[in-house]
Amino acid sequence: MKQKQFELQHETLWHNIELILVNDKKNKPESIENFPALYRRLCQTLALAQQRGYSPALTDYLQKMVGDCHQRLYGTKVERPLTLHRWLFNEFPQRVREEWRLLLFMNIAFWGVALITGLLVWYQPDMAYHFMGAKEIEKIQDMYQSNAFKTGRGAEGDFTMFGFYIWNNVSIDFRTFAGGIFAGVPALLIMGFNGMHMGVVTAVLHADSVTRNNFWPFVITHSSFEIIGMLLAGVAGMRLGLTLLHPKRLSRRHALYQASVRIFPVFVGATILTFIAAFFEAFFCANAAIPSTVKYIAGAICWTGLILFFAFAGRQRSA
Amino acid sequence: MINGRLSLITPEGVRILMTPAGPSARAWAWAIDILICFGLYLLYSIVVGVLNLGTGALLIGLFVLYWGYPIISEVYFNGRSIGKRALRLKVVRADGLPVGWRESTLRNLMLVADFLPALYLTGLLCMLFDLQFRRLGDIVAGTQVIYLDIVSKRVAPPEVDPIPLPYPLTPEQQRVLIGLFEREANIPIERLHELASFAEPLTGEKGEASLARLRGFVAGLNQ
Repeated sequence: MKQKQFELQHETLWHNIELILVNDKKNKPESIENFPALYRRLCQTLALAQQRGYSPALTDYLQKMVGDCHQRLYGTKVERPLTLHRWLFNEFPQRVREEWRLLLFMNIAFWGVALITGLLVWYQPDMAYHFMGAKEIEKIQDMYQSNAFKTGRGAEGDFTMFGFYIWNNVSIDFRTFAGGIFAGVPALLIMGFNGMHMGVVTAVLHADSVTRNNFWPFVITHSSFEIIGMLLAGVAGMRLGLTLLHPKRLSRRHALYQASVRIFPVFVGATILTFIAAFFEAFFCANAAIPSTVKYIAGAICWTGLILFFAFAGRQRSA
Repeated sequence: MINGRLSLITPEGVRILMTPAGPSARAWAWAIDILICFGLYLLYSIVVGVLNLGTGALLIGLFVLYWGYPIISEVYFNGRSIGKRALRLKVVRADGLPVGWRESTLRNLMLVADFLPALYLTGLLCMLFDLQFRRLGDIVAGTQVIYLDIVSKRVAPPEVDPIPLPYPLTPEQQRVLIGLFEREANIPIERLHELASFAEPLTGEKGEASLARLRGFVAGLNQ
């Protein structure tokens, strides 16, 4: 068939499809129930045009139109209102349980280091200066002795700290996760460093009765969300790093992609936990009007609640 | 990948062609985006200062800009931040479709890893070793950055009487001929004659006469 004849024969089809695409761009989607059928016919004309060696002007034109239609047909965003809910309440705890070995490992890297440094400093207070600078320790001691703990920081101070916690703590989570891809080494270092920091600070502040009574009520509640969030960001990052080291039967690229899809709910959950921690740290823990007893009770509830959540949530689905 | 284009075969049995974008174009797009982020942050800090919202609001704004700008601009603006728009680039999934929240979040967080040890060295090395110029973040998220196709209009053939071809030409050969006449205005006439002489096996002529015949062939290509 001559190209002219071919063009004449299909002119209306191409014109109709062009109209649909143009209306799409103007956000005036009309009824396009037969779009898939039109698209299939368009693909057929492209294949024919290529196979018969028609002029490049025609095939380029059809190729472009096929590309646009492909986007139009397969690229539509499907509304999935329950995705976040499913991620958080089913897949998040499920994947965390699945990664229990890594989680255990992260816990050892964090709590182990914290325990060792804490005990060292507890028995030999001078050891604290091996781990942290004298100025830094003094600053922290001053902070927990200050009057702010009796009077609170005021609403403005709370909000300032809220902004700071979000910028600082959530960014650290993100870096832990991203850094995990290098065989998990940066994630492990962050765990160890934070563990050391916490061990030293806890031992130093617990040694003095003034700071002790300010310290524990302040950290007990928000630490549940913050530490678990950080550990899980580390687990998610480390999973990527281990996949890169040991991709099993897949190529490294495919293995990384699959691991990222699987681990993403854990990362989202970790981020949300850290946001919650920032909220508690800024508006609840630092609030001087709330008595210490309430804070201890809230802390106990949060810790047990979170542990129970990861132990039992999302089990019914998989059964 | 011989001509530098990726081809995806769709369920309908046709190919979708994509041209992956290399490090230099993407670096320019990144630079533009960084400047815009910086400008937005300055603007925001002025607003915060005037309204006296305090450091907290400033830091939350910084967080949203720093981590959120690339993600939001990719998810809501069809894979194209302002920098990418300027360089006619686009982020798509490996299957050529627009990126969603997961892909965009992963690839932009992984920028941190791509940056290490300094100045996006990991990302650059990764791009140079990957056939599709993907950085680490792209591989993890299953995305790639491609050039937007330049829209080719169906150009009118030269206005001379068409001459039938002595034998059919392949599409690639046709493309060469059409390309010659598209660039005609920029080529010296002597060079045109010289080029036309190469086509002697097709036209059976040399120089100007060969050029005239070629023009006729091109005019007749879509007959």
